Amino acid sequence: MGKRVILVPLDPVHDIGLKMIGRALSERGHETRLLQPDLSCEEIVGEISRYRCDYALVGRTLGYGVEEMLARLADLADAAGLRPKVKMVVGGMAIKPELAAELGYDAGFGPNTPVEEVVAYVEGRPYDPRGGVPPRSKPSLTRGYTYRFRNSEVEALLSGIVEEVVCWASGVTSPGVERARIRSRMFESRREGEGEEGLAREYERLCEPVVAESCRGAGVPKARAVTPSEKERLERRLLGRTKGETQLRHGRDKPLVFVQYGTGCPLMDVAHVEVAESWGADGVVHFDPSWAARREGLFRGLLAHEEDGSLITEENLRLVKSGLGDPTLWQVRAHRGLNTAETVVLAGECGADLTKINIAYGSLGGGTDPERLAADGVEAMRQAARYGMPFDVVTNEELCGVPAHKAFAGMLITAAVGIRLGGLPVLQPLFCRSPQVMLEGFMADNYVDFNAAKVLALRQILDAPIWPGAPIGFLTHTPDRVQASVTTALHACLASSLGVDAISISSADEAYSGGPISAASRVDTLRAVREGLRFFGRAGIEPTDRARLWASDIVEGIVSVLRDVARGGSFVGALYEGLLGSREEGAYPGRVGRGTVKKVRAG
Amino acid sequence: MSPWEKVKDAVMDALDVETFLVCSSEDEAVRAMRALMDAMGLGAADIVFLEMAGPGARVRARAYVHRPGDRYGWLGGEADGEAGNPGSA
Repeated sequence: MGKRVILVPLDPVHDIGLKMIGRALSERGHETRLLQPDLSCEEIVGEISRYRCDYALVGRTLGYGVEEMLARLADLADAAGLRPKVKMVVGGMAIKPELAAELGYDAGFGPNTPVEEVVAYVEGRPYDPRGGVPPRSKPSLTRGYTYRFRNSEVEALLSGIVEEVVCWASGVTSPGVERARIRSRMFESRREGEGEEGLAREYERLCEPVVAESCRGAGVPKARAVTPSEKERLERRLLGRTKGETQLRHGRDKPLVFVQYGTGCPLMDVAHVEVAESWGADGVVHFDPSWAARREGLFRGLLAHEEDGSLITEENLRLVKSGLGDPTLWQVRAHRGLNTAETVVLAGECGADLTKINIAYGSLGGGTDPERLAADGVEAMRQAARYGMPFDVVTNEELCGVPAHKAFAGMLITAAVGIRLGGLPVLQPLFCRSPQVMLEGFMADNYVDFNAAKVLALRQILDAPIWPGAPIGFLTHTPDRVQASVTTALHACLASSLGVDAISISSADEAYSGGPISAASRVDTLRAVREGLRFFGRAGIEPTDRARLWASDIVEGIVSVLRDVARGGSFVGALYEGLLGSREEGAYPGRVGRGTVKKVRAG
Repeated sequence: MSPWEKVKDAVMDALDVETFLVCSSEDEAVRAMRALMDAMGLGAADIVFLEMAGPGARVRARAYVHRPGDRYGWLGGEADGEAGNPGSA
């Protein structure tokens, strides 16, 4: 049955909230009457009395004198005998629910209360913040993509290169490849209830001594063990809390927004991840320290340290996973270092949704020997395919100075190998102000065209998901949190306009090097991205014609590089020779793990 | 436990203080901000950002209450004899 509702604006002009509520109530069959603003309390009580309403919704925006005025209105309504018949409700910018209760109102609604919440109150039903929309489910980055090539020349060139890589990799092995396979068997043994000890000893023999000792329970340099009490208190204080349903996008399904974490401590990671999820992040990316990636083997234990990046251990990953909300995507990076393949196994076993692999970047900008990372990278992609885990192929060598087209050629080779092995690669161009961009003046006018050109170029080549990173706006941030948040939001809006599948965003601390990233700085950029995406909605940013021209240049450059790689007959050789990024450009073939790749004995 | 200690325990990691200081140089702003943080008992503070223009400086200083790897007050409960946080504010 419809209610009679009188809407009472207490301010001279600010009655828009009441008008919106009035419209919503009318649309649902209630009878409403909006009073003129700025009436005296006596006049208002007179109107309420004459209208014989069920509800009086009082709105107040301005803060001065609010308490006195509302108290007076309540007193007069009491004196007029209205209270048993009329529910008195107050809301608006100046209202806090506690104040309403204190003054004897039946309900109080603070700033940013949704209209639907007030309507639900009037109708005497519980408020559903999701408006009947079912809870978010875990999204897919790769669904709907065919992985078909759109550029036949690139397809033909990659086909030959991929066969060479896969054939070469089938004839070699490394300690990292072996460890990945042993790890995999250890998990299988565990599932079948068999002992892992024998395999564990085999595993330790392939690790550096300090890692092997950690596996046997010894401490880890620079790290401390998280105590059972800390873990238990974390579970009690943080885990299982409702994270809300903050939605960053407005009117679009893409891009999914990823936040990178890796504070050094799994407890703090869980806390930061909870913050990021609560402010609308769709996914989180585990950052590990570079020093650990340069050691043979993964440490064991629930371990914290005071440097950037959180150690990849089974225990650390499982703790972070235990805190993740069901719809949150979780990526564990495996893209560089000596534990690439093994990290993929661990990530898959711990429930990660995504990983990160790139042979070219890891060996030209990540410090790992190209031959070693090629062997481990191929195994990593096999493992990723086995777990059905998509992986992004990052192109961070651009930050070393490698031109975009060369970085993209390396990315496409890795992606094509992944596809050949049954995997689901995700292309990850950088949205960044790279050395190439600075030297060539590509962003002298705007930050839009060259970033857009990268996406357009990749779309001309392959039907695959695109996930700019990492983070977007790299090298455009300053320690000013407003500037850092704005530049992040604008890059996010560009990504949204281009319809890419996902983005990785930094915190507002991206350019601050004096200490760890703070939780508040993560909120800054998430909030800014939400505002930016709200501003544009389904509208967009229009690149100039320059973007299309640059896209053509990038495609031509990629073809040229792939021809050179194909002509040379060896992908690994091409990495050493600088075809995918030269020393002059800032790409140096890594040395970590050099000489550790062995030929597999026939038979 | 003092109210200040109790509130500090709830700080997840960093405590930022941001303001506009009326001053005539960046050096003066840095000195003033450090003095302010000292006076607030946040001695180990760092200047995260400072921009000087016109009548003074927009400045943000930071003290870490809990660094990664510390014993976090916001975990609550007893810390079973674990060491304190010597490096934090």
